[in-house]
Amino acid sequence: MSTQKLILSLVILSFLCSCKHKEGEYHSLKEKIEHEGNKYHDTGISSEAYIGDIKTIQITEGDHTFLIPERKSQIQSYACNECHSKPLAAMQHSSIAKKAHWNIKLMHANENAMNCATCHDGSDMNQLHSLTNKPVDFNKSYQLCSQCHSIQFENWKGGAHGKNIGGWAKPRAAMTCVNCHNPHQPQIASKWPVRFNTEKVKERK
Amino acid sequence: MSEKKKWFTLDFGFNKENATTTTSGCGCGNTSGGCNSHKPAPIEPPVATSCGCGSTTGSCSSHNTPPPKNEYTITADEFDAAVEDTMVGETQKDGFQQVFDVKMDRRTAFRKLTASLLIGAGAVQTSCSAIAGEETKEKAQIDWEEQFKGNYKLMTQEERDATVKRLVRSYQLRKKENISMSATDASEDVLFGYAFNISKCQGYMNCVSACVEENNQDRNSQMQYIRIHEMKDGEGFKFNEADDNYYHEVPAEGHFYMGTQCFHCDDPPCVNVCPVEATWREKDGLVVIDYDWCIGCRYCMAACPYDGRRFNWSKPEVPQAEVNKNQHYLGNRMRKKGVMEKCTFCIQRSRSGKDPACVEACPTGARIFGNLLDPESTIRWVLENKKVFRLKEDLGTEPKFWYFMD
Amino acid sequence: MKTLRAFGSMVKDSLGYITHGSKTYHIWMIFLTAIMLIGMYCYSIQLEEGLSATGMTDRVSWGLYISNFTFLVGVAAAAVMLVMPTYVLHDIDFKQAVLIGEGLAVAALLMCLAFVIADMGGPSVLWHMIPGIGVFNFPNSMLAWDVIVLNGYLFINITIPLYILFRHYQGKDANPKVYIPGSILSVLWAVGIHLVTAFLYEGLQARPFWNNALLGPRFLASAFAAGPALIILVLAIIKRFSDFKIPDTTIKKIAMIVVVAAQINLIMLFSELFKEFYAPTHHSESAYYLFFGLEGKTALLPWIWTAIPMNILATILLTFHKLRNNPKVLYFCCVLLFVAIWIEKGFGLIVPGFIPGPYGKIAEYTPTGIEIGVTLGIWAMGAFIFTMLAKTSIGIELGKLRYKKGKK
Repeated sequence: MSTQKLILSLVILSFLCSCKHKEGEYHSLKEKIEHEGNKYHDTGISSEAYIGDIKTIQITEGDHTFLIPERKSQIQSYACNECHSKPLAAMQHSSIAKKAHWNIKLMHANENAMNCATCHDGSDMNQLHSLTNKPVDFNKSYQLCSQCHSIQFENWKGGAHGKNIGGWAKPRAAMTCVNCHNPHQPQIASKWPVRFNTEKVKERK
Repeated sequence: MSEKKKWFTLDFGFNKENATTTTSGCGCGNTSGGCNSHKPAPIEPPVATSCGCGSTTGSCSSHNTPPPKNEYTITADEFDAAVEDTMVGETQKDGFQQVFDVKMDRRTAFRKLTASLLIGAGAVQTSCSAIAGEETKEKAQIDWEEQFKGNYKLMTQEERDATVKRLVRSYQLRKKENISMSATDASEDVLFGYAFNISKCQGYMNCVSACVEENNQDRNSQMQYIRIHEMKDGEGFKFNEADDNYYHEVPAEGHFYMGTQCFHCDDPPCVNVCPVEATWREKDGLVVIDYDWCIGCRYCMAACPYDGRRFNWSKPEVPQAEVNKNQHYLGNRMRKKGVMEKCTFCIQRSRSGKDPACVEACPTGARIFGNLLDPESTIRWVLENKKVFRLKEDLGTEPKFWYFMD
Repeated sequence: MKTLRAFGSMVKDSLGYITHGSKTYHIWMIFLTAIMLIGMYCYSIQLEEGLSATGMTDRVSWGLYISNFTFLVGVAAAAVMLVMPTYVLHDIDFKQAVLIGEGLAVAALLMCLAFVIADMGGPSVLWHMIPGIGVFNFPNSMLAWDVIVLNGYLFINITIPLYILFRHYQGKDANPKVYIPGSILSVLWAVGIHLVTAFLYEGLQARPFWNNALLGPRFLASAFAAGPALIILVLAIIKRFSDFKIPDTTIKKIAMIVVVAAQINLIMLFSELFKEFYAPTHHSESAYYLFFGLEGKTALLPWIWTAIPMNILATILLTFHKLRNNPKVLYFCCVLLFVAIWIEKGFGLIVPGFIPGPYGKIAEYTPTGIEIGVTLGIWAMGAFIFTMLAKTSIGIELGKLRYKKGKK
């Protein structure tokens, strides 16, 4: 009978040893992240190389400092004052006035809320302007968007909205509003998914 | 050996046995040494029967080296003679007698066997380069060492480098192209985490495509690590009613989209159940697999509550032009049939600071990836400021993949 | 040296003994060999093509092989029900049956191992599982436990009968001090192999159908019904085809074991059904699929609705002494029980565990011809091994095989 006891105790012992949670570990993942995050040292990994050819500028908004793509060089007809040599009001009555920007159709909010002049500065076309007529640089057009879309702005600053560029490590680079949303038609169009899995269909038939 | 004819007939049983052993011995030697010389270079990688491989190198070097040219160069005359012998023999005798019931020494027997093997194979090419032979030997050597290498997790740095080198060389020998393979280790102070914005995802599936291409997934079975579930608004998470294989214009009216993949659990059930420790959690939180150590029992697949694991039911195929040559040993290197694989958060990218392919490909910015230990990272901001949740949290697996809404 | 020589002679004699026999015996063995060859051919195809030659998919990743494996572990464990009374309690009745039972256990275990190997994606790297050379995830992985207990059990079940037969072969009595500790160990071990196999499934939080505390005990109960049922059938066949005397009381006692186990098994089945269907939760979907089908997918219905009535009918019939004592009814019931439990604990347990998948997706599983071929081949192998073992041990027990000291 002693053999039996021995075997039994051996079995119990090995079960105890097989306890899955290792000692000294945290109760939950959250605890672990908080605790180990407190001891955080910079990893030395850099994502700079992955930003690639995108020209960026650094911005600081609140507690957040990060890079966004530079905009002006990407706009086809910048600088605007190459055509808009005079204030808009003056040009509209001029005899050389052409029907410019015919392809732009404003579909942003509704006509009551917005028109071209909500953002564009008629007196200086190289600039944008805020609702209170303060000048806003084309590179920092997000400052315009954030006037209404304040929640999106908060999310964007934190990193919950807007696509990250390159890598997860420092320096942080993110797309700015106009990189994804056409400011004149900010709604993103629907499209077809890029793939369809025919094998899955077979498997589940 | 050449005795009276009677000797052969009398001891036929014994001789047969003897002969067959020689056949298997040299047959194998042949595949590596002799045969190769007849088949030009890119031979399909030998099917992974260990002993076949083993004897290939083993008997190859021991058998083939002493008589160096003999098996390689069978002159046309000799060859014809061998053919004739068999032809003539056929009229009177049968079976093994055709081959063995002739006065001959071991060498001739050997040569004749080779000849008949060649007839069988129909791959007769007397012109052969010595280089091809060298390469085959090297291939065999690599295969042998790869077959009997240890578990990556327990290898020393040197052993790791050696296996990476072998794999790169093996690919070069077989496909005549170079790949780069890294074996970067986990960095200190990194714990990878992922967040998915279900109000942003539009169901375009760019992530799926990018993932398949980045990770060299099998094209034949259309394997995909990521699954996008199209869910009806106002019904909660009803995965069983969701469609994860839709094909219509997206986003569909009244639907939202939710992506799943391996969640890299902090207490992964798949790792616990693996009988051979072929899968484990790295220090930076990535759950990885040593494809060469996996025995294909699929216990991990049964243990995963998130459908995060995939099995190579047949030989995975990737068109050579589409192979992603930037590889990691634990990541997207080429797999073989009968092993598990899974999302590694693109270890070949993420370990060097790049975003995983799905994050990079997502046109909506719904995917957020980063270092959970870095208090300034965007993923930490999301966890602290958004209302996040995880799937099946009650199972206690602690996935490092959170969902949130705007 | 003397012992070695005697042993050599025993091996030689048994080899001679198993290659000779009646016409029926030869036909039987040729038949089994043919099926084994078919199985091997099918396996070679599977090796070549990969497991895609089977009906398994990412959704249902374990199928016929693992189902049979699970069931056969039970059959192997059931040998213990005979060992216990014979060796430990000195119940003479069983002494005849026990060698057969252990032979059955050995055959069943070898089949188990064959099924596991057939199910592997990479049989060429199976050495990774050998402790010492490979890496063994012990004690975390239940599969590692299972490998250990199965091989240990195989070892015990080979050595004990071998020792006894060897003594008998020499015309000596076996020393109880040698085999009784081994028997006790094997009793514990048999419960162990079955519990560990149950834990293999029970420990998976991902599969609610398996993740239930009753799984282990139910495994035991069904094993102790199906295993002895098979032993009864085998004994009946042996009785019919050889001179081996098996007293009716032995069979009656084994039948008793079968009844009790089958009754307990039914109680547990009802308890399980009650839990799944009285207050069905999201976790009851697998059971729904098994018994009623889900979303029009009903592949398992014919199976389970064959198994349940068979199970109930056999249990009820066997419960009545009069019916149980009628050999014809008994054998009929044993067949019913065996088949019913094979379905219930094979297919009926493994496949619904995977359906619906983690995200509610349903892909049904149908084994392919290749898979069935391999399975039949392995069963034939088991029958082949068992026939040889049984024939030898019967030969020794009947005194047909005896060590002749003069012989070299």
